[in-house]
Amino acid sequence: MSLIQISGLKKSFQGTEVIKGLDFSLGKGKCIALLGPNGAGKTTTLRMLSGLMAPTSGTITFTDAKKGEDIRHFIGYLPQFPVFYEWMSGLEFLIYSGKLAGLKHKQAKERAMELLQLVGIMDAKNRRVGKYSGGMKQRLGIAQALIHSPELIMLDEPVSALDPLGRREVLDLLEGLKKETTILFSTHILNDAEEVCDEILFLHNGEIVESGTMNELRDRHQQAKIDFIFKTKSEEIETYFTNHELTQSVNIDGKRNSVFVKDIERARQIFLQEILEKNWPLEKFELSSMTLEDVFMKVVRK
Amino acid sequence: MDALAQYAPILLPIVIIQLILLIVSIIDLVRIEKTNGPKWLWAIIILFVNIIGPILYFVIGRRNN
Amino acid sequence: MIQWMTLLQKELLEMWRNFKWIWMPISFILIGVQKPITTYYMPQIIDSLGGLPEGAVLKIPTPTAREVIMQGLGEYTSLGALIIVLSTMGIIAAERKSGVAAMILVKPVSFTSFVTSKWAGGVLLMWLSFFIGCLTTWYYTGLLFDWVPFGEFLQAYFFYALWFTFILTVSVFFSSMLRTSGTAGFISLAVVIIVSIVSSTLSRWLEWSPAQLTSYANEILLDKGVSEYLLPAGLLAGVCIIILLALSVMIFRKKELAA
Repeated sequence: MSLIQISGLKKSFQGTEVIKGLDFSLGKGKCIALLGPNGAGKTTTLRMLSGLMAPTSGTITFTDAKKGEDIRHFIGYLPQFPVFYEWMSGLEFLIYSGKLAGLKHKQAKERAMELLQLVGIMDAKNRRVGKYSGGMKQRLGIAQALIHSPELIMLDEPVSALDPLGRREVLDLLEGLKKETTILFSTHILNDAEEVCDEILFLHNGEIVESGTMNELRDRHQQAKIDFIFKTKSEEIETYFTNHELTQSVNIDGKRNSVFVKDIERARQIFLQEILEKNWPLEKFELSSMTLEDVFMKVVRK
Repeated sequence: MDALAQYAPILLPIVIIQLILLIVSIIDLVRIEKTNGPKWLWAIIILFVNIIGPILYFVIGRRNN
Repeated sequence: MIQWMTLLQKELLEMWRNFKWIWMPISFILIGVQKPITTYYMPQIIDSLGGLPEGAVLKIPTPTAREVIMQGLGEYTSLGALIIVLSTMGIIAAERKSGVAAMILVKPVSFTSFVTSKWAGGVLLMWLSFFIGCLTTWYYTGLLFDWVPFGEFLQAYFFYALWFTFILTVSVFFSSMLRTSGTAGFISLAVVIIVSIVSSTLSRWLEWSPAQLTSYANEILLDKGVSEYLLPAGLLAGVCIIILLALSVMIFRKKELAA
């Protein structure tokens, strides 16, 4: 079930096309990472989806929105550098944004307290936002994005500006939010995406160059290689690897058998078992796999 | 002394109001993190430029947000 | 409407927290009270400055209460206008520049409400501060000279305030159009000064100009009766205010908030 449908989304600044036609849809309840190097167009894309920026062409459609309905009701957005009214307290700001999103004062306050607890800045709720640290502002930003329980929250580089500890905490927070709502977050750090997300959209130079679920991406790109080095060269061993059903291809170089497989875990287990059973003279074995990091690099260099 | 007693009811309210403005601006200057231009300069302007000093501070010196 | 009230409440609260509710009325009081006091104490002031040379006779006719109050309000046309522009020039530009406008406008907030609530907050503060200021002028004039009828004073106040509302709206307009508050303030002042100068030099032909409102208010204060052009000038000011506000909203909507 898709929540939002994007088609032919383009954006030009002074004649330069920054976003060159995006087509994708986001599934309900998913956590999607918008991944790409700096300058790929991640922020521009999110700003267009949030309604802050008008696309040059293309459409953004919410499945649940009636015709002409303000899509901002469905969205919570956290910009890369969230800014607040510094003279307000954290609690006041949350209540204010809740009321602007259509909540009654009482509802807004209850929800605000709930979220302050969730993002872990309850202790600072009455302190002026001007006195908050970067990490606390980021959390308050996440809380304000969630205040009206939107169907989609979009976070622009939510962890990039944080120190390792803060980053860990925010990632855990996102992990917890997955149950409540659909999340789209941009990042240039692959590990962050890998850790929390089910799906990835690779953005590069304003185009989606690769997308899919984690598993799909792995299947498509991940190729694992197992090197077996034996004491002696053996025809029997070579035929075993060549003809095995898990094998995709084999490179034989003297005593070295390099076996390319898809499922590295199973292959390792089965091959090692066979080697033990047959008591083949294994001297050394080595696993190497193509990680998403490699995929990322490959995609970016293309 | 007679003259002073004569002027007091008229001038005193003005002096008080002016004092309030002065105190409020000083409190604000102390509490605020940043001003447009150096803080000490605003302190001098508020303290030594009568009436106009505090007003100038609020209008120009105070940085919102 | 509920949302508009929320936005307005925030404006009023902000003005309280940054002391606008204190310093604006006080500034207006101090501006307005100067004229009656200095006029009244002029002989003493001259004395304290060393007095007049022997034989010289002070030939300043004692002004009437009506003249004093008119001069008192006159002080506002320059200083008051300056304060109004400087304190509203950042009302939208500063929030856009800091990025907080973008934080607010990703919520389902109408652009019209966003702009008009800010304008309304500014108008409320200005009308109140100016009223308190004028009232002190009136009171001190009454105390030291003679009492000017309150009704006439109120009429004059209203038309002065209408002119100031026009100035404030010009300032809001440029604040929504330009990126920096400084330029917005500068251009607003330039526009207001030009409108005033042109209107007063060509006053014969531009009787309906909103800038003439203060002269008509002065005529009321001097008991010269109500000018037949007061109504057209007042109406035109109202129309200008509405058009400027509508344009502010339109321009603000078109701006890319997050650029």
